[in-house]
Order: sequence, then structure tokens, then C-alpha cells
Amino acid sequence: MTATATRAKRPAASPGTPARVRSNIARTPRTFYWMVVPAVVIFFGLHTIPVLSGMFFSLTNYAGYGTWDLVGFSNYINLFQDDRVLNSYGFTFGFAIVSTVLVNVIALAIALGLNSKIKFQAAFRGVFFIPYVLAILIIGYVFNYLFANSFPAIFTALGLPGLSGNLLASPDFAWIGIVITTVWQAAAFNVILYLAGLQTISADLYEAAAIDGASGWRRFRSITFPLIGAYFTINMVLSFKSFLQVFDQIVALTAGGPGTSTESIALVIFRGGFQGGEYGYQMANAVVYLFVIIIVSFLQLRILQRREATFS
Amino acid sequence: MKSPSTIPHPRRRLRRATALVAAAATLAALSGCSAGDDGQVTLNFFQFKPEAVGDFAAIITDFEAENPGIRVIQNSVPDPDTAIRTLLVKDKVPDVLTLNVNGNYGELARACIFADLSGDPAAETVNPAVQDIVQSLGTCSADGADEVNALPFASNASGILYNPDIFAANGVEVPTTWSELIAAADTFQANGVSPFYCTLKDSWTASPAFVNLGGTLMPDGFFDTLRDEDPATATVSFQEDFADAADKEVELFSYCQDNFASRDYNAGNKAFADGESAMYLQGSYAIPAIRANNPDAAIGSFPYPVTDDADSRVVVSGVDVGIMVGRNTPHAAEAQKFVDYLMSPDVVAAYSEAQSTFSPLLDAAPNNDPALAGLEPYFSAGKIIGFIDHQIPAAVPLVNLLQTLVITGDTETFLTDLDSEWDKVAARTTTQRQGK
Repeated sequence: MTATATRAKRPAASPGTPARVRSNIARTPRTFYWMVVPAVVIFFGLHTIPVLSGMFFSLTNYAGYGTWDLVGFSNYINLFQDDRVLNSYGFTFGFAIVSTVLVNVIALAIALGLNSKIKFQAAFRGVFFIPYVLAILIIGYVFNYLFANSFPAIFTALGLPGLSGNLLASPDFAWIGIVITTVWQAAAFNVILYLAGLQTISADLYEAAAIDGASGWRRFRSITFPLIGAYFTINMVLSFKSFLQVFDQIVALTAGGPGTSTESIALVIFRGGFQGGEYGYQMANAVVYLFVIIIVSFLQLRILQRREATFS
Repeated sequence: MKSPSTIPHPRRRLRRATALVAAAATLAALSGCSAGDDGQVTLNFFQFKPEAVGDFAAIITDFEAENPGIRVIQNSVPDPDTAIRTLLVKDKVPDVLTLNVNGNYGELARACIFADLSGDPAAETVNPAVQDIVQSLGTCSADGADEVNALPFASNASGILYNPDIFAANGVEVPTTWSELIAAADTFQANGVSPFYCTLKDSWTASPAFVNLGGTLMPDGFFDTLRDEDPATATVSFQEDFADAADKEVELFSYCQDNFASRDYNAGNKAFADGESAMYLQGSYAIPAIRANNPDAAIGSFPYPVTDDADSRVVVSGVDVGIMVGRNTPHAAEAQKFVDYLMSPDVVAAYSEAQSTFSPLLDAAPNNDPALAGLEPYFSAGKIIGFIDHQIPAAVPLVNLLQTLVITGDTETFLTDLDSEWDKVAARTTTQRQGK
């Protein structure tokens, strides 16, 4: 109704195309500019300018204080020869892949359970969301205590002395402790997204499938999973992106140790840039890291979106 | 439709609000550096030691009573090394500072952040051996001459702490040579007593032993040579000159208790205070923390017997607290007055008693703390060397490499890693190394 009214009015007010554009702007209430312009200014001032100045300092040997010189791209060249940085990329990607897979498998399983008709459904949903509300740093310190004291004591009492060591104290296995903590915390958020997706599926489809005699697994494979494809994509992209940026849980659990075995990229940037007096060098690392995350997320989105089912 | 006359209205209001904010900001900025309304000068005092806030507050109260024109504001933060760098990025150098005189200090001094204190009369009263440790970390050499950028206020010492009661119960004498130390550790182990309590959850706790072993065994001037040389044609390297130290480090840590990789420094202080181990590979700085857990803890100390020559023993000593003045402070005269007060013999003596440190002053009375009795003679006689980890730039993850070393026992990887980290950092930060 309103659409026809506007369309009827428009030709009368403006005969030519340019005039129509101008009149459209004039008719937009000023309020929207008052909303958008401050947001742009704040975004530009607090995000874009720091990013650009950081990119500039990545071309210098600035230590964070004192004098500095422009050094061209030598920071970037050194970066690709620095095995500590390359190791941190290896660790971070390995960690992100394992955690993304585990988080999505576990979150989807929990979401399917919470979506079916079970008793205390609302209470269960609340319980599973709690880990996400807690700060990751606090969870990290709690798990740190569990790994150092509680788990060894429990395994010793169970008569499994082989498992009674502290997982976080082993250079080869400390990453598993970080994965456990991260998955425990991050699954909650993905459960919520999957639940939202599951509720968009009409019950009719399942009824029809039940009449055709489809099993539970078959229903999941042929109806549920294809229909929440878009949610699967967004969960994969979001969790992989946030696991590539892993920082807090490592600070709380291992501080990058033992040795340098669990140093993530973000931790190397923070340590070298703010504690090691290599601001310029780690800025170069941060710039590379920024582009790596953008490219990985973009590729992931393209590949996963291609296999989403379209039923419309 | 709105009439055009209403449009400027919100803009005018916005402009007024901006002006107000700007005025408030200017006012705040001005009050920060002005001489105050009643002619008083306010000194901004950056104090890095959280456990000494009370001691410094008392010192400041006395100072202000003597100097009514000067007000001193003590700022103490957690993680001071990061905090001071953050302040420097914003060009806000405090008027007077205390910092741990370590590698971090050296880098800041070379960047000419601190004023030259060589003309200060207080500089004359300092033990030259201690001042040498400060100077060796680096100074601002803007005019070609080496400056004095920090005065030592309190010194610490790293040695082996031990429990005299456990030693007596097992019939073990204080070891004076490396063989005796290993024999003592074997005796304790045979008697079911833990020789050392190790706390490798905190990576840095592997370094006190290493600085003693490496500092004694390395060739003279190792770090100066290493800094000046081109890595391609180097005659010294960690691989060449630190192999013995790394082997001995691994041997010492093979006597740790079972879960040493998952215990932290606080747990170690508590365990040693409760008599859970015969010895503790720490330094004088751990004594206040041990006493906080058990005021009656039995503590003795002796220098690391690194070789089989008992006469070659030295104590690794660092300047726990150094005093600096901001290079461009507008209150140089007042800052000088405060520094002179801090460096006065009474203040230094009271502080060293309260915090179990050594006084860096030339004619200071020895610290009578029984826990320091084993180290005090070396300090008074000037048989001290600096912490070698202060010579290694912060960008080299030394403590993490040490942590890996003592957990895995792989000395070869440790030494090659240390060499390659050193070379990489040296190649990246040439201008800072040159003291520009």
C-alpha cells in the first residue's frame, strides 16, 4: 500500500533521474545522519588511524621510546626468517583447526539435544550458556589450578599414575590443556547459534520423513544439516577467526610455556612489542597477521557458502 | 518540514560541548605540570616495588616534613617494566623513578630517557663495584662521555638459600666446591630429603642458578665481545663458552622434587619456609617472601660453588632498586633534593634492613640479617659480579629457553637456540644497541 503511494508520487515531484536522487537525500530525515556520522568519526579515530599509524611504524625500528629510523621492509624480511614467529604461526593454526572442529562437533551435538523435547529444557539451556558468561581469563586460572592439583590427585586416587602429571607442564602436551579449556568455554556460544538455526526448520519436514521411514541419522544428514548450512558456515568462520586470535587463555594457563611451546601469534606480538622493546618489528608481525586472518576468513566463507543447500 | 532556522541550533550546542570538553582537558593538563596554587612543587615519583610501598610512603612523609615546599606523589603499578614503556610512548617521563636495574633499564638508559647524575654529591658515596654493575648495563652517551643515569639504592644477591636445621640433622656441612655441593645433594636424596625445591611453572626461576653458573664460568668481557662482533666472524658464542654452565644447570635441576614443572614461585617460598627442602636456588630477594609464610623459618645462605676452587667463589649481585631522574623534568632542583634525601645513609640503611637488601654505600654498616650472613662478606669485599641475564636483550626469550632446558635436559638445542635468538635480535635492533 505505502509502496504504491510513494511510487505514484515520485514521477510528479522529479522528472529527471539526477533530480530524483537529490530529492531522495533531501527527504531522508536528518536524524539518520546524526546517528551515522558520529559512528564513522569514532570508528575512523579509534580504529582506522591507529591501524594506519601501526602500519607506518612497521616500517621503522621504533622500540616504543627514544629515536627511530625508517628501515623500509627489513622488518618484514626478518619476520619470515624468524623461526620463533614461524613456530607461533604453526602452533596457532594447529590449535585453531583442532579447536574449531571440536567446538563445532560438540556444540552441534548439544544443540540437537537441547532442541528435542526433553525435560528441564530451559534449565539445561541456561546451564550450557554459563561458561560463555565467565571471563576467559578467570576460567583459565581455574583450569590452571585443576590441571596442576586436582586432576593429578584424582588420577592418582583412581590408580592411574601414568596420567597423574600436570598436562600444562609438558612441552609436548600443554596445547591439549589449552584446547580443553578453550572448547569448554567457546562451545556455549556456538550452541546458541546452532539452536537458533535448528528452530528455523519446520516440524512438517520431520513428520514427512518419519512417514517415509527415515532413521534419526538419515533425518540429520538429509534434513537438519543441509538446512542449517548457513549457521554452520558462520560458526566455522567465527570460531576459526577467534581461535586464531587466542591470547587470554594462554596467558592464564601456560604463559606461552613450557619454554616457547605454546606461544600464539598474539602472545609473541604482545611480548616482543610491549615487553621486548621491538615495537616496530612486532607491528610488522601484526600487519601480516591482520592480512592472514582476513584472507583465511574470506576463503573459508567462499568455500563453505558454496556447499550450503538452497531450498528457496 | 523543519524550517532552516532550527538547523544551526544543535550544531551550536555541539560546539559549546566541544569547547567545554577542550577546556576541561586543558585545565587537567595544566594542573599536572604547574607549580600549584601555593607555590608548592609536586614531584611525580614512579616506584616499582609493590612490597615496598609502605617503606617509601614513610620516607616521603619524612622528606615532606623537612621540605614543606615539595610534595611527592608515589605511583606504584603492577608490571612496572611494561608500565614505564607505556608512559614513555606517551612522552610522560616521571620526575623521579625507581626501577630494577636490569636489561630493561639499560635499554632505556641508552635511549637517553634519564638525567645525568654524575655531578650529584650522592654519587661519591656509592660503592664503585656496585656503580660498575649499573654502568655496564648501558648509559646515555649523548655528548660522547659516559653518563651516570642511575644511583643504586639497594642491592640484592643471588646465592643458594639453605635450611640450617636440615643440614645439621643430616650431618652436612655448607659446601664450598661443586663436588661438595653434588655430594650434599646425593646425601639428602639418599636420606629422603628433597635437595632443592624447584618452581618451574614460573619460567624465570630457572635463571638465578644459570646467572651464577654462566657468570662465573664465562670468559671475561664475553658480552662486550659478543655485542661488538659481526655474527659471521664471531670468536665467542653461547655454544662455545656456555656449554659447561648449561651442563651444570641440568645437573642441579636433576635433583628437584617430582612435580617441579607445575609448582610456582609462591608455592616454592611456602615449601621452603615449611622445611620441605634442604636448599633453594634463589636469592636474597626471596627472604622477605619466605618469612611472610613463616616468620621463624630457618634460613642460611652461601654463594654458588661453581668450580672445585673454593677461592674463586663470587656472589652475583644486582641493583634491586636504582634511582633515576627524568631527563627533561621541569623540577630538576627539587628532584635532586629528593634523590639526595633518598641516598642519605640513614634512609638507605633503614630500607635495607626492612627489605633484606645490601646497602650499596661505601661506608655502610653490614646487614646483620642472619639469613644474609653467608653472602655479606663477599659483598663487603667487592667479590661480586652482575646478573648476566641483564646483558641479554628482553626480546630474547632467555627464561623460556632455560625452562625448556631444565625440563628436557637438551643442552645442545638450548645453546644453538640462544645463539640464533641473539643474532636475530642483534640484526633487528642495531640502532638501539649503538646507544643512539
